[in-house]
Amino acid sequence: MKKYIAKRLLTAIPVLLMISIAAFIMINLAPGDPTNLYVMPDATPEQMEATRRALGLDQSYPVQYMRWLTRALRGDLGISYSTRYPVLPILVSRIGPTVALMGTTLLVSYIIAIPLGIISARKQGTWVDTLLTGGAFIGVSIPNFFLGLGLIYIFAVQLKWFPTGGMLELGGNASILSVLHHLVLPVAVLSTFYIANMTRYVRSTMIDVYGENYIRTATAKGLTKQVILTRHGIRNALIPIITIIGTDLPRLVGGAIVTEQIFQWPGLGRLTILAINQREYPMLMAITLLSAVVVLLVNLLVDMMYAVVDPRIKYD
Amino acid sequence: MSTLKKMLRYSVVLFASSVLLAACGGEDVPDLEDAAVEGSETESDDLPDADADDGDTLMVGLTNAPDSFNPFYRPGVAGTWVQRFFYDSLLVMPTADSFEPALGSLETEDNQVFTVNVHPDAFWTDGEPVTADDVAFTLNTIAHPDAETTLGPNVAMIEGTNDSGIREEGLDELPGVEVVDEKTLTITTKSPVDLAYISEFLGFGVLIAPKHVFEGIEVADISNSDAATKPSVFSGAYQFVEYDNDNYVHMVSNPDYYRGAPEIENVYVRVMNGTALITEFQAGNLHMTAGGGIGMVPVQDIGLLEDIEGLVVEEFPSFNGQYMIINNDTYDNAKVRQAFAHAFNRQLIVDNLLNGRGEVLASTYTSATPYKDPDLEPLEYNPDLAKQLLEEAGFDFDTPIEFVVPTGNAVREQAGNLIEQWLVEIGLTVNQSNYDFPTWLAMAQDLDYDLGLMGYGHTVDPNIATYVQTGGSSNNMAISDPVIDDLLAQGMAGTSYDNRFPIYQDLQQHMQDEMPIVPLYSDSQFGVKVDNLNGGIKEYWAGSLHDLHEWSFE
Repeated sequence: MKKYIAKRLLTAIPVLLMISIAAFIMINLAPGDPTNLYVMPDATPEQMEATRRALGLDQSYPVQYMRWLTRALRGDLGISYSTRYPVLPILVSRIGPTVALMGTTLLVSYIIAIPLGIISARKQGTWVDTLLTGGAFIGVSIPNFFLGLGLIYIFAVQLKWFPTGGMLELGGNASILSVLHHLVLPVAVLSTFYIANMTRYVRSTMIDVYGENYIRTATAKGLTKQVILTRHGIRNALIPIITIIGTDLPRLVGGAIVTEQIFQWPGLGRLTILAINQREYPMLMAITLLSAVVVLLVNLLVDMMYAVVDPRIKYD
Repeated sequence: MSTLKKMLRYSVVLFASSVLLAACGGEDVPDLEDAAVEGSETESDDLPDADADDGDTLMVGLTNAPDSFNPFYRPGVAGTWVQRFFYDSLLVMPTADSFEPALGSLETEDNQVFTVNVHPDAFWTDGEPVTADDVAFTLNTIAHPDAETTLGPNVAMIEGTNDSGIREEGLDELPGVEVVDEKTLTITTKSPVDLAYISEFLGFGVLIAPKHVFEGIEVADISNSDAATKPSVFSGAYQFVEYDNDNYVHMVSNPDYYRGAPEIENVYVRVMNGTALITEFQAGNLHMTAGGGIGMVPVQDIGLLEDIEGLVVEEFPSFNGQYMIINNDTYDNAKVRQAFAHAFNRQLIVDNLLNGRGEVLASTYTSATPYKDPDLEPLEYNPDLAKQLLEEAGFDFDTPIEFVVPTGNAVREQAGNLIEQWLVEIGLTVNQSNYDFPTWLAMAQDLDYDLGLMGYGHTVDPNIATYVQTGGSSNNMAISDPVIDDLLAQGMAGTSYDNRFPIYQDLQQHMQDEMPIVPLYSDSQFGVKVDNLNGGIKEYWAGSLHDLHEWSFE
């Protein structure tokens, strides 16, 4: 297994290099000069040139890329065009809030959705199943911005149970309780979709598993429903569920752009939108690279999880 | 089952770690921690209570992220607005036509040599006095050929600078800036100028920087230096503590402020979108908006704020206008350009898209400026006349018109759709395309369009040479009209409102006759604040912070 992991990590290096080149080309292919956003409308050519020089945009594209690459290898991801702050600390400061938001969302979603999916599968065709699948249908259909604004209006503006947005009370202490309090509404919004989505997957997977011969054999052997479910049902349903989790996990850093905007959550999603709007090329490169690293690592993690849950899968 | 248990255990650990991570470090950019004000009682891990009721914290809503805290380089309005909390200018502008001394005074007898007297009690927050050397250093740095600055036009009247405000070759310093003594200097302009013009551009527009902080840094490197990005020495009513990127700026009062210690201890300027601005007001979490174009409440939602008890919503005319820019190379016949203006029902845009909260523009200026000609009416909406003018000009109705509408301003995008429809109604063929603003600006600079929509913000001073003068740096319309050039030159040579106003009246009439750019509308600006706040946004928005140190809660 160690050899396999080392091999996968080594192959990730050229992949990341290719991704960085592709990202650099695509970002710079965008029409328009980012310098225009960082000068006054009446800027003279000399003032434009001074800003272009300060942003490092006065060099040719290959030189710009090589400069970025050599600095990135030393842990310097450049500066923000607007604030001139180093990109890396800004990026790092946004990872925590986004991981907290998305991590909590995914965790809450799986804890609720997996049992609901199993119940729905076991009660297939009953009113319980109809209720759960109907609820799941509504959950995947309801737009985030609509639900978010609705929850803010009811629970923050009218009832004042939760804050309208942000992650901490400004001027207050940065306590875990304060973060949890601020997390409730955005997590509720995001979880609505993930719970609905995962419930449907689990239900469908469990229905397939219940139709397998080994379940019939186990039933014929006289095993209890509980044992059949836990020892044979869930275990065999885990592989497709892990695949779905594998597609969800990169969102831990991808963030939830709309929800972060609505709830003013200081995460990576909001940073991405700002970087796009302001043509913050170094920031966009850094976010792209971070996303690529996370996707590669999660894919590796998922492959390892397959081997853990299914002894038939071996990598060495 | 043990696998499931392990997964559950790992999940719980993941959850706890992520929340802890967010709680411990998420709100702070680590590098900014050491930017906390020296000697301030409010380090970022010991922040004051934000409870509004005790009157020690002001929460301000801002819809644009501040970009720069560098007094020499201020590309964005939001950054400039925030900087005014902690860097002072020589003068303040309580209204559009009045100036008062702040960090200094500006006086002249001949409109060419101006004497600056720096306030005798003004000190930087590190204890150094604010001197004439600071003022001279600031002006010389802005004019330095290596400087990355947005303030060239603000010093371009000083002797020794070129038209861009850059120091002439062969000079080491500006000959027009002479330090007389510790608190006095003189500024000599290239030719006599209106006192109001130099007061607005130099006296109010330039924020004075601390020489002893910046003088050791190469001028070309100032923008990216810690001194500029993490300011630590201030002359204003407040002191910068930290900026959490795209989230909030925290400032604390300057107890030794030379105009009197501020009443309110803490200011948080929070960055949020227009919708969040409304919900934060509804929840009672904000005391005021930043107003202007950087505290924008969507015009259709203003009514929601007006319904909130305890909020004061005031409507002011704006210095910003929306225009249809014309490629004057393509449309070099004034009849064609006038036909476009007659084709548009601009009153309908104001009535329906702005809910009546705005004005139709007759020419270049909005009613916020004293230079707007009150007798000049907008061209009437008359599609028949528009069609007739096009026919008289021999216009080819079958050639498609490339019409560009920038994204990012909902009302402007809707107006763009109406304009396309009105152009089609008079028989024209129109290809409308929508681009983000940077792309559109690049197209405009290359004259790669026929018609397009653009917003312009004006100063109180009526000079619009950069937009409409032949070769003007923002003349993206290929306007080249000797009459306009001559009137602009005459206007700048005037030394008082009385002798300049008739010249700009002629300019407005000429612009309407020749229609090189079609003025559309100007949407109102709004000042929103809680009714127990003494202070807030004024009618002249840019000068709203002039009495910041006196703001208080009742």
